[in-house]
Amino acid sequence: MYAFEIERPTSLSDAVSALKAEGAQALGGGQTLIPSLKARLAMPEVLVSLSAIDEIKGICTDDEGRICIGGGTPHGRVAAELKDSYPALASLAARIGDPAVRNRGTIGGSLANNDPSACWPAAALASDAVIKTDRREIAADDFFAGLFETVLEEGEIVTEVRFPVPQAANYQKFAQPASRFALVGVFVAKYEAGVRVAVTGASESGVFRWTEAEEKLSSDFSAAALEGLSHAAEGMIGDLHGTPAYRAHLIGVLTKRAVAAAG
Amino acid sequence: MSVATPLPHDSAPLHVTGRARYVDDIPAPAGTLHLAFGLSPIARGRIKAMDLAAVRAAPGVVRVLTREDLPNACDTSPSAHDEPLLAEGEVFYAGQAVFLVIATSHLAARKAARLGKVEYEEMEPLLSYDETLAAGAEFEAEPRVWQKGDAGAAIAAAPRRLTGRIEIGGQEHFYLEGQAALAIPDDGGAMHVVTSTQHPTEIQHKVADALGLPMAMVRSECRRMGGGFGGKESQGNALAVACAVAAKLTGRACKMRYDRDDDMVITGKRHDFRIDYDVGYDDGGRIAGIDFTQVTRGGWSMDLTLPVADRAMLHADNAYHLPACRITSHRLRTNMCSATAYRGFGGPQGVLGIERMMDEIAHVLGIDPVEVRRVNYYADCAGGGGGGGPSAPRSAAPSPPERYLEQDRSPGSGHAMSGALAGAGKRFGAEHSPVARPVEPQTTPYGMEVKDFLLNGMTAKLLADCDYAGRRAAIRAWNERSPILKRGIGFSPVKFGISFTLTHLNQAGALVHVYQDGSIHLNHGGTEMGQGLFQKVAQVAAARFGVDVAQVRITATDTAKVPNTSATAASSGTDLNGMAAMAACDAIRERMAECLAGLHQAKPEAVVFEGGEVRVGEAAMSFAQAATLCYENRVSLSATGFYRTPDLAWDRIRGQGRPFFYFAHGCAVTEVAIDTLTGENRILRADILHDVGASLNPAIDRGQIEGGYVQGAGWLTTEELVWDDKGRLRTHAPSTYKIPACSDRPPVFNVELWDGENPEATIYRSKAVGEPPFMLGISAFLALSDACAACGPHYPALDAPATAERVLAAVKRARG
Ligand SMILES: Cc1cc2nc3c(=O)[nH]c(=O)nc-3n(C[C@H](O)[C@H](O)[C@H](O)COP(=O)(O)OP(=O)(O)OC[C@H]3O[C@@H](n4cnc5c(N)ncnc54)[C@H](O)[C@@H]3O)c2cc1C
Repeated sequence: MYAFEIERPTSLSDAVSALKAEGAQALGGGQTLIPSLKARLAMPEVLVSLSAIDEIKGICTDDEGRICIGGGTPHGRVAAELKDSYPALASLAARIGDPAVRNRGTIGGSLANNDPSACWPAAALASDAVIKTDRREIAADDFFAGLFETVLEEGEIVTEVRFPVPQAANYQKFAQPASRFALVGVFVAKYEAGVRVAVTGASESGVFRWTEAEEKLSSDFSAAALEGLSHAAEGMIGDLHGTPAYRAHLIGVLTKRAVAAAG
Repeated sequence: MSVATPLPHDSAPLHVTGRARYVDDIPAPAGTLHLAFGLSPIARGRIKAMDLAAVRAAPGVVRVLTREDLPNACDTSPSAHDEPLLAEGEVFYAGQAVFLVIATSHLAARKAARLGKVEYEEMEPLLSYDETLAAGAEFEAEPRVWQKGDAGAAIAAAPRRLTGRIEIGGQEHFYLEGQAALAIPDDGGAMHVVTSTQHPTEIQHKVADALGLPMAMVRSECRRMGGGFGGKESQGNALAVACAVAAKLTGRACKMRYDRDDDMVITGKRHDFRIDYDVGYDDGGRIAGIDFTQVTRGGWSMDLTLPVADRAMLHADNAYHLPACRITSHRLRTNMCSATAYRGFGGPQGVLGIERMMDEIAHVLGIDPVEVRRVNYYADCAGGGGGGGPSAPRSAAPSPPERYLEQDRSPGSGHAMSGALAGAGKRFGAEHSPVARPVEPQTTPYGMEVKDFLLNGMTAKLLADCDYAGRRAAIRAWNERSPILKRGIGFSPVKFGISFTLTHLNQAGALVHVYQDGSIHLNHGGTEMGQGLFQKVAQVAAARFGVDVAQVRITATDTAKVPNTSATAASSGTDLNGMAAMAACDAIRERMAECLAGLHQAKPEAVVFEGGEVRVGEAAMSFAQAATLCYENRVSLSATGFYRTPDLAWDRIRGQGRPFFYFAHGCAVTEVAIDTLTGENRILRADILHDVGASLNPAIDRGQIEGGYVQGAGWLTTEELVWDDKGRLRTHAPSTYKIPACSDRPPVFNVELWDGENPEATIYRSKAVGEPPFMLGISAFLALSDACAACGPHYPALDAPATAERVLAAVKRARG
């Protein structure tokens, strides 16, 4: 780990100005960032901890009935509080890492990091969520920009994520046995306007929507509607945990499972 | 009586409260320095230039050593003198130590080690089986070939023939305590090393060799390891030698431990194998002849590859009487970490080879896999086999155990040994002794007569106890109704040979002191790695003196107390050290008995040591009072004990002889479920019946059996080692390499001990338990194969480890 300064602002505006400093970086729960610092993969001069900013923590429902999760809310709270209002999100959060990771790690940190094996990006994309930052609102469709890349600008803070509540939804995670990260994860959400299917863990360009499946499911929301449909192995990740062909195969299986479980 | 009692592990309270001391917990002397290796990032190449200026300039660095700074090669090999401590101009695997940093803290040493700039001329590494075979890179000039009868003719003449291949992965030891050593310089150039090692004598030997000292100047000590599993038989040498060399150079204590990633990259693992089989058999599944070709990747240095590969050959028959057999074994020299000992020592790989073959025969014939096994079993010994299967008569009774005590008694104690085994009671009785000579002895492929086989009876009991037949039928019916999930059930037996195959290693010593207050100090050559050896041997000592086990003080293994010890390995720890400790205790007890008998006008044989008391005729006194009396009468209350396993003779080149004292047996039935869409799988239930002879400690034995099964199942399911095409190990942390956790053990887990006694005169007629149950995990693998086979008409030919992706591929093969 290289040396750095740490700041703990208590308001969003203080955090925004602290992040304007040269070499400053936001620190959420630190569940990804701290290990990266230890491995010397990052060299921030100032870490601006978001953990003392109450205004970006907590969960509520807005006038449009959307579930709004503060960017600094840890996974554990989502798991505990959304069981009734958006059970698929609660269940996703409950399956992230271990209790320590869930108590520290935040939704904002996960989305900003956009790890190709992370769970939250699939939920945001499948739910057509809106990612609110200190300066704008970004549709999930526009937010993710490839492995570990998003459209967030320097010093931009995810303050809230707004999830329209679907009629039915489910997240299927095929956990890599050692790390328990998603080898492949599929989030299916059914809305009035249509069905959205987001896939994480599989593609070399990060989380994506499986539009062929969405089309079929929008006209017939049943696992049977996916019969005969498979995802190509091309462009899928091949690594020590699985081949591209296996990952592609899992996309099909998990999507069907998600549809069946969503009911 | 303290033997045959389910006492907890002696250190259990310390383990669970974190107070058990491991090498890194020992308060180190002031000024202790810390070491770290600079490692080769490439698998093969020549060192062109080394720039270590930045390393030397790093904070806290005291010295940086390369090969040129060492007094000699400082060889760390347990076998062929082919492992220089630091690379000599060339590197042979990614992870090889190239330079050594000595610094004021562990962290400073590690940080500095990263700053080394080494330039290599990269060469093409030898990695795969085929390219290494083609290059002829083998450890022995030619493959080892052992034969019984004419396998080729037998196969050709058999009504049916089948060939197949299985690939079997290696395994990381994943001991919780990583490798660690501490060297403290003593007076006059002597060295005291404390190491997490299964083999203190080898540490002593390698350190003495590196420092140019006689062995008497080096003291090697180990109180306990946080797990060894074979990974600390030879792999601790490098750390101990590095510490000793650095301690000599600096005059300060030196300590070294590998961090987990380094540990996984540097140290050797279980040998992976590729086994081809060509078998001739009949319609009933009876085998006429087999030709096995075993190929294993030994890594860059020889280490223990030869005996490991030998043991794979020695277990190629597992539990089956093969009329004709040919086993060919290639031991490859590859540019990978040097594969080493791991629980079972090649045995599990050999066993899996024939178990897979049995499975395929059963599939082809469409008969129950257990039946194919049973028709090929060796015959049970008389009396021991219980209800099932044919029993063959056995040869003459083993000699009474007194013989071994007699020959091994410490010199100078001229007493008769009468009553020496009084404490053993009827366990040494003759009722289990076999009677007649066999008509035609059944022999293994290496010519050893199998006289103590138990698996017919054990199999019958296990199958009945776990309702194998009923469940098999129920699973078949269930599978017919279940298109996506399939269940499978698998049975596997194990017959495991007990003894070191290098015959001279089958010896042990012990040192026992009785103090005047009646407390007992016990020391022997075995090491404690969590397996419960110390407690078992303490139970033996307590039983010999008739005292409570709490009165026996267990002490660290120490080459200054007991010399010339063998590694605690080959499951033989209790067999060897228990006997040696018994001999030492008995020598003291006899002297005490003689003294007390003299004081009370009685015969020494009439003195009874029991229940914490010593009774002579009418008189009774506490053991402490007896000890005081003996002390006051100037009786020596200290003795050494020695044991060597009798009747072993083995020629490894010819593959003929009696390498083992006896066999330990076990069998298991595992039920699994797989998801045929993804290959995900789960163990649902395991039932085990295992033979530990007359158990010295049923609680500890059960722990070994449960742990062995889980570790064996882990080897064959989730534990996958991945090297990339440049020979770098990609799985070097728990985030990428999955060992079974507590929650991965079978939810229904029935373990029973076979009620029997070792016909051979082992310590209280017990049997070794460390390695044999590891192979019971094979039943989980076979159950997975069975579940895959439920998906279609073809043989699934599952390879190991059966990860979800491999299971899915096997499902596809079954469907065709
Ligand atoms: C053992 C383990 C297991 C895990 N398993 C899973 C899993 O199964 N599934 C899964 O999805 N994840 C998993 N994770 C990752 C976990 O979810 C992390 O919490 C998450 O990826 C990062 O969140 P964080 O709050 O810890 O962010 P940090 O680590 O603090 O930061 C990560 C990055 O995001 C930036 N950042 C943080 N907060 C914000 C914000 N509000 N706005 C803008 N940028 C911000 C930081 O500057 C940094 O670049 C696991 C982590 C561990 C350690």
